[in-house]
Amino acid sequence: MMESLVISLVNAVPVLSGVPLWSITLLVMVVVAAVVLTFALTYAGLATYVERKVAGDIQARVGPNRVGPVGLLQFLADGIKLLLKEDIIPTHADRFLFALAPYLVFVGSFAAFVVVPFGMGLIASDLNIGIYYVMAVTSLVVVGVLLAGWSSNNKWALLGGMRCCAQIVSYEIPVGMALLPAVLIAGSLSLQDIVRSQGGLLGIFGWNLFHNPFTFFSFFLYFVAALAETNRTPFDIPEAESELVSGYHVEYSGIRFAFFFLAEYGDMFVVSALATSCFLGGWHVPFLNGEALPAVWGNLFSLGVFLTKTLGLVLLMMWVRWTLPRLRVDQLMRMAWKYLVPLTFFNLLGVSLWLLLFHGKGIPQMIVSLIG
Amino acid sequence: MGLKAYFYDIWEAVATTAKGMRITARYGVDPRETITLQYPEERWEPSERFRGFLYNDIKRCTSCTMCVRVCPVDCISLEAVRGADKKMVLASYDIDVGRCMYCGLCVEVCPPKSLKHTSGYEKASVNRGELILHFVHEDANEIKARVAKQVAEAAAQAEAEKAAKAAEEPKASGPASDNGGKEAAAGQPASQPAAAANPAEKDAAEKKPAEGAKGEPGKPGEPPKKGEGETP
Repeated sequence: MMESLVISLVNAVPVLSGVPLWSITLLVMVVVAAVVLTFALTYAGLATYVERKVAGDIQARVGPNRVGPVGLLQFLADGIKLLLKEDIIPTHADRFLFALAPYLVFVGSFAAFVVVPFGMGLIASDLNIGIYYVMAVTSLVVVGVLLAGWSSNNKWALLGGMRCCAQIVSYEIPVGMALLPAVLIAGSLSLQDIVRSQGGLLGIFGWNLFHNPFTFFSFFLYFVAALAETNRTPFDIPEAESELVSGYHVEYSGIRFAFFFLAEYGDMFVVSALATSCFLGGWHVPFLNGEALPAVWGNLFSLGVFLTKTLGLVLLMMWVRWTLPRLRVDQLMRMAWKYLVPLTFFNLLGVSLWLLLFHGKGIPQMIVSLIG
Repeated sequence: MGLKAYFYDIWEAVATTAKGMRITARYGVDPRETITLQYPEERWEPSERFRGFLYNDIKRCTSCTMCVRVCPVDCISLEAVRGADKKMVLASYDIDVGRCMYCGLCVEVCPPKSLKHTSGYEKASVNRGELILHFVHEDANEIKARVAKQVAEAAAQAEAEKAAKAAEEPKASGPASDNGGKEAAAGQPASQPAAAANPAEKDAAEKKPAEGAKGEPGKPGEPPKKGEGETP
């Protein structure tokens, strides 16, 4: 992917042919990484603002409205405040692990942005094991969170870290199982291939969501399980303010805390992006063949469509967060092992049988073939 | 747990979540549900009987000290002196709003209805001294000095008149004013009190307590103060 981009760049600009290829490749990689990270940080900042506004609306309040027009610059003020805060490391903390933990969490969450298919050609790296990579790399968060809990030398932090660990490890299974139907339909682990498999002129009925009843349920099962994986409110027992003060990041302040915070919002985006590309048709423009458009417009359109769907799901997560109360630890575990895991297995079986019986055709396709 | 209960649990979870989300969506979308008042820009109108900060109309205040005595938290302090026309003059009237509990007893008890609750309630300050409301803006000592001077002048005038009368009287009828006769016998010429102000003032100061005790039962501390104010 990156190599081909560089080769096309060298072909387009003859002056670069004298420069060694690896250095240009490296440069392009750095630029792409910077662009993706900038996007991620801007999104995370704005998401905190939107979250607070949504919370305000739902709770019959106003939300931030002091900094800038309707409070839009609130996230900048918050960021500056966090940067200027004193960096406190508790006396009895394990200093090295304490400093390392936020970066692991941050890296685990933002490395997943690499394979997010923003548009037709807008993907940092189209790995052929995209979904697998996301699942693996977001599991790094567990290590970071557990380290944070352990190294803080604080009983609440440790409890929060262990709860988070148990939760993420438990919910990893339904998340993976719920994503597999999309992989089965596309026959590939690459996210771009999965998105392409949902195209066609069927518009929104090409989506995996409407492929068959099992994928329909699979989407909701994935969404619930993924919500739990991001440690957000109905499932935020690792942070449970009323029980654990604020869980694994109770001892963190300033910029280190900001990393945990950004990672949470990054997680939300990754989860929504996966749901979008696996079930909601990804960057496919409904009722329009994006591939037929000129490259620039096609990419812009598909980027817009993808972001609309993904940010819509992020908004849905916020909405859920400010609606539901927190589950108890045992309820959380019961939900994962007694409900989500069996149901996702059942769904996987159902989708497999469906694909076997109907030769990979979804319900809309069958209806179209009946009519046409 | 039977299979029926299992699926019922799932159904219930979905149904209650949907219900809750419908409610929060209504709150989120409906602008009328936002009830927060943007305080510094807009304010609630306090109700008619709102008990805000106290305000004393000192022109009507009679310095009766009823409010001072009725106040359960002693937040009102009052100083008054008796003026030349026998009416009390306020020297200072302070209310410590930091201490006031807005019970309204002082307003109820105020005979001339000069003490009132206003609708004010905003008085954030960085030190507690700013929480004391002063209703007499002049310096208390200045007022006291001025009133004392007026009183002294009036007394001196009265004494002078009296002395003039007394000086006239012995000529007319001897036994009528024994006092004047004795003073004259002590070696002071009868015309001296009228000429020099000082002895006359002393006289007035001596006479004052008797007058004062009758007029102001509530302020035992006041008469000696007045005496001090007069001497300089």
